Amino acid sequence: MALFEVSGFKPYSEVRAQILPFGQTRLVDRPNHYTFNTKTQEFAVPLGEDPSGFLKSCNHDGGVCIDLNHGTTTLAFKFRHGVIVAVDSRASAGNYLASKDANKVIEINSYLLGTMSGSAADCQHWERLLAKECRLYRLRNGHRISVAAASKLLSNMMLGYRGMGLSMGSMICGWDKQGPGLYYVDDNGTRFSGHMFSTGCGNSYAYGVVDSGYREDMTVEEAYELGRRGITHATHRDAYSGGVVNMYHMREDGWIKVCKDDVSELIHRYKEGMF
Amino acid sequence: MALQDLCNFGDIFQESVGTARNVTATGKRKSCSYATGVALSNSTSLFHFYIPEVGYLDESPIQFGQISTMQSSSGIPSPETLPIPFSLPERIPFTSSQAVPLPFPMAHGTTTLAFMFQGGVLAAADTRSSCSGLVACPASQKILPIHSHLVGTTSGTSADCALWKRILSRELRLYQLRYGRRLSTRGAAKLLSHMLHPFKGTELCVAATLCGWDGGEPDDECRDHGGSETDHGESRETTKAHLEKTAGAPGEKVSVSKTQSSSFTKQQCSRRKISFSGPSLFYVCSDGTRLEGSLFSVGSGSPYAYSILDQGVRWGLTVEEATSIAREAVYRATHRDAYSGNFVDVYHVTSKGWTRRTREDLKEEYYREKERRRLERERRGTALSG
Repeated sequence: MALFEVSGFKPYSEVRAQILPFGQTRLVDRPNHYTFNTKTQEFAVPLGEDPSGFLKSCNHDGGVCIDLNHGTTTLAFKFRHGVIVAVDSRASAGNYLASKDANKVIEINSYLLGTMSGSAADCQHWERLLAKECRLYRLRNGHRISVAAASKLLSNMMLGYRGMGLSMGSMICGWDKQGPGLYYVDDNGTRFSGHMFSTGCGNSYAYGVVDSGYREDMTVEEAYELGRRGITHATHRDAYSGGVVNMYHMREDGWIKVCKDDVSELIHRYKEGMF
Repeated sequence: MALQDLCNFGDIFQESVGTARNVTATGKRKSCSYATGVALSNSTSLFHFYIPEVGYLDESPIQFGQISTMQSSSGIPSPETLPIPFSLPERIPFTSSQAVPLPFPMAHGTTTLAFMFQGGVLAAADTRSSCSGLVACPASQKILPIHSHLVGTTSGTSADCALWKRILSRELRLYQLRYGRRLSTRGAAKLLSHMLHPFKGTELCVAATLCGWDGGEPDDECRDHGGSETDHGESRETTKAHLEKTAGAPGEKVSVSKTQSSSFTKQQCSRRKISFSGPSLFYVCSDGTRLEGSLFSVGSGSPYAYSILDQGVRWGLTVEEATSIAREAVYRATHRDAYSGNFVDVYHVTSKGWTRRTREDLKEEYYREKERRRLERERRGTALSG
């Protein structure tokens, strides 16, 4: 394979084959295609490269500053009628706004959603890889993957590259046999199940709003309003969040896209009559 | 004192007091008057290093007592004294002291907030003092009254805040005695900001919001034009007395000063019409920020509080509504932020002065809320099923 030749991987795996008994080195057709079909349990980083070191040099004051802050606000909460997922749409590159209409929710399949915060490239790549894995699971096993298993797959991918400078904070939301599911997965390999999460640098603003308005037995409209308010108030105070509120509702029969409201209009509506 | 002995402070201080006297004589008197004035009278005070010379900002005050005698005795780092430290690093960066480093970049482990509304100014804060992971005091006071109509919330280093609040109170009291009226909140904010300026770049950390009510004082006769005769009479007399004093020969000038005083008061009237009376809110920070606003929240718990306040605060709130929003905001912040917690203090500043609500335990609030939610859920359950 071309990549093997280029990255000098081949000799290493040959050495490994000599050390380990022959049977164990065959890892073809296992759910670890994210290791790029290496014959052994290697991680697909070319030898001699140190991504985290490179990234550290980029973050220093003197040189180029690639600020991998989690410049966004995303929130998701579980309630009786499913899972609400709400995200903003601002993509920033340092102080420059790269996009005011970025899509931070990846539709893995009709009953699984993933949110993205952190480095946009990392999120998109790994969540698309997760989508591929979920599809393969469905084809191999005949039934859908559970939310817990999908989040575990993503978490293991992150653990494989731990310390190498990935930046991703994601929430995997879905509805499976156990009911609505919500997991938070992190670039450190953290994986939490919970009722409510918010990620990104605007998350603290969103937490305040959603904590005070959250009830497990809310109606659907109330839940939509809470999600909208959470993102709107966060974008109002946080410089790195803005744009529109993209909101999804995960129901038993799949997700629906609820709205795409501009936050400036929303904040004017909420703040009417103030000062 | 043990610390003084440990760092040979006594010897160093004696030498530098001599130089301090010289320095203050030359200039920059105003900004170090509080500092060196105190130092010279009280030899155990550590204030003398506040001499704002140019080279000062290169030296970290945390080096104080640890540097060699030559360097500190000069007070002013002169070129000859610089090549001393073989034993010292060239430059100790201010962020890396020997103290325990901050656990997270955002400092000010607290939640304080203040906002203006039609009923005055409301200030609320939690009461947890933390010391990098340890709760040093669960019942500290983060809102300190400065005078009868001015209250300040504190955030940052507790010791710094407490000290600077007291210095500010002293200065405001002196102003009041000298000029016969209270300094406005705007003036107090400016004063505090200028007092903190020499320490910019050091490890001093004070982030305060000053909440006050300006004006409305009895000798301010232009406050209401339909004012009583006694008010007018009083003020005219004081201005007359003032003019008499300055006129020099009082006997001759009495009649003149009488007419002069009436026109003078009219002038004062027109001048004073511009002055402001009402609630006032300023944010002052030791890095030099000084902002006027109608809503502030400071501290690590501030983002959580901001979103609650943004939702609810408006000018037309009643006092009860405002208090409940402030309490809710602090409660939510303490719920999510590890460095805020325990109790909540609420202070309300009106034209009559500040009042304080009894301190409330937020643990109780948490259980009360859980109970409330449970009851609501039951009520909803029965409503749906019934």
